[in-house]
Amino acid sequence: MSSTTSKPVHRISYRAVEIIQRNLLLAPGVLLYATFNFIPLLALFQLSLVNWPGIGPKVYVGFDNFTKVLTHPYYRDQMLNALIQNLVFFVVIIVCFLLIGTLLAMLLSVKTWGRKTYQVIFFLPYPMAGAAVAYLLDLFVHPRGPLNAALVQSGLLDSPFPFLGSEDTALITMSMFYTWHRMGFAIMLILSGILAVRSDLLEASMLDGASRWQSIRHVVFPVLGPAFILITVIVMVDVFNNADYVLLIMGPEAGPLRSTDIMGTFLFRTAFGGSADTTDTNFGMAAAIGLLTAIMILPAALFLALRNLRQQ
Amino acid sequence: MDKIFKLNKREQLLVQFIMLAWVAVVLIPFAAAVFNSLKPNVGQVLRDPFGLPDPWSWGNFAHAWVNANFAQYFMNSAIIAVSCVVIVVFCASTTAFVLARMPFRGSTFIFICFLIGVAIPIRLALAPLFDTVRNLGLLDSLLGVILVQSAAMMPVSVFILVSFMRNISKELEEAARMDGALPFTIYWRIIFPLMKPAIATIALLTFVQAWNEYFLPLIFLQSEELYPLTLGLQRFNQQFSIQWHMMFAGILIMMAPTLIAFMLASRQFIAGLTQGGVKE
Repeated sequence: MSSTTSKPVHRISYRAVEIIQRNLLLAPGVLLYATFNFIPLLALFQLSLVNWPGIGPKVYVGFDNFTKVLTHPYYRDQMLNALIQNLVFFVVIIVCFLLIGTLLAMLLSVKTWGRKTYQVIFFLPYPMAGAAVAYLLDLFVHPRGPLNAALVQSGLLDSPFPFLGSEDTALITMSMFYTWHRMGFAIMLILSGILAVRSDLLEASMLDGASRWQSIRHVVFPVLGPAFILITVIVMVDVFNNADYVLLIMGPEAGPLRSTDIMGTFLFRTAFGGSADTTDTNFGMAAAIGLLTAIMILPAALFLALRNLRQQ
Repeated sequence: MDKIFKLNKREQLLVQFIMLAWVAVVLIPFAAAVFNSLKPNVGQVLRDPFGLPDPWSWGNFAHAWVNANFAQYFMNSAIIAVSCVVIVVFCASTTAFVLARMPFRGSTFIFICFLIGVAIPIRLALAPLFDTVRNLGLLDSLLGVILVQSAAMMPVSVFILVSFMRNISKELEEAARMDGALPFTIYWRIIFPLMKPAIATIALLTFVQAWNEYFLPLIFLQSEELYPLTLGLQRFNQQFSIQWHMMFAGILIMMAPTLIAFMLASRQFIAGLTQGGVKE
């Protein structure tokens, strides 16, 4: 390539060649991203205004999809159900992350025997595929599985407990799966926050006669705020679009009785149907739901984007 | 912290107890998978899930590998993950080079478009994305999945590389430019070698993400011969759901590559996450 462009014989100035090469360098990345990511995101606006089963002609319906999702009982109830369950899912995860994650990160930051080993073990589940984690834990908590066997044999339970089979506990069990998988991530972010605390400040507080707990509360915790916010925002963006565990274990119908339905499964079902014989799929409706979800996580997303800009 | 807080014996014991409790939470499901995958039949798994296998049946792994077509799935996952790494490393490094080092009218706008992609997940746009892929005739092809997954990794990679590049001095480049070097040469001879640490980070992130991705292949692939391991495991689950010992063996086969990658590069992995912690 450079042999054709570095010849000034064609009376192209250095500046012109520089601009051509710059554009050639920029093109592949911008084209790839625009085609398969950015333009589809923008197309959400246009697609949300049509009625379209994914094949055949698109019928322009204006804001009908939005009106239906927000007012028509069939869609509105599904949407509300998915939204509320999604919030529960999110809150359970974030509370576990912040409580257990902070405790473990604190303990990893003091001089403990074998803390390097603990750090690696705690992080172990993180790099594994969601599909493997979902099936592993699904079998683990199965009524005939190891966990129930242990609980019954030790006398804690009289009969096996249907963690995923009961409407009351399925969603909570799913959020425990998420917590098990991603806890290492929360621990690492909090730990890097703790390690950034200036040790001279801590020493000063100890010299001034503060107890350990007082120093932790007044010197360490205030510095952890940004880490907590970052974890909350990342988890929020993730759980409102990613429904892999539910899709893998329960399928798009999000059983039992839709008790594990979250925004991701609702969106999937609207676009592709819950089972093979579904006929009322609507890509326009799916786009409308995608857009509404995007608006819901927009504050979190904007926060991330602004934080990134400021880091520049 | 460790210089300030010295633990006495009793506190040390308490700390160890808490740590070991979480270790148990993390490791017991693993251990159950390993032992149960070595049992000769499902009866033994259900009767005594924590007992040792009798006899130890190493053949389960070979059986799962052959019967479930894992060789094919493994190959597809490898093709997808490696292609994504190559595409993302090339496209993200060239784009980041231009955006960070050769600003022009509109380059900030392009950078902001990438930032939007960091914040808003592509899954929300699954309907328009599906439409695009179908119009390009890439439905049910590995190429389609590779391009979509690479594009999904672009924003965070460009972001990591641009931030990294802002901290490299411009002297070498300016000297090269004085000597009449053109952007291609500067990119290939100067910038690319300097960026290697950050490129290693995005390569690792992209590999693990592409290997573990379930949702995008689920939407875009129909033919079973194109399935990556994540979809293969789902198929395997439908076939062998009653044969728990085989299921555990299949799950362990699926986990092995990313676990090995993590063991080999755990430090880079954790570093990559705290830098790229912007997106799951």
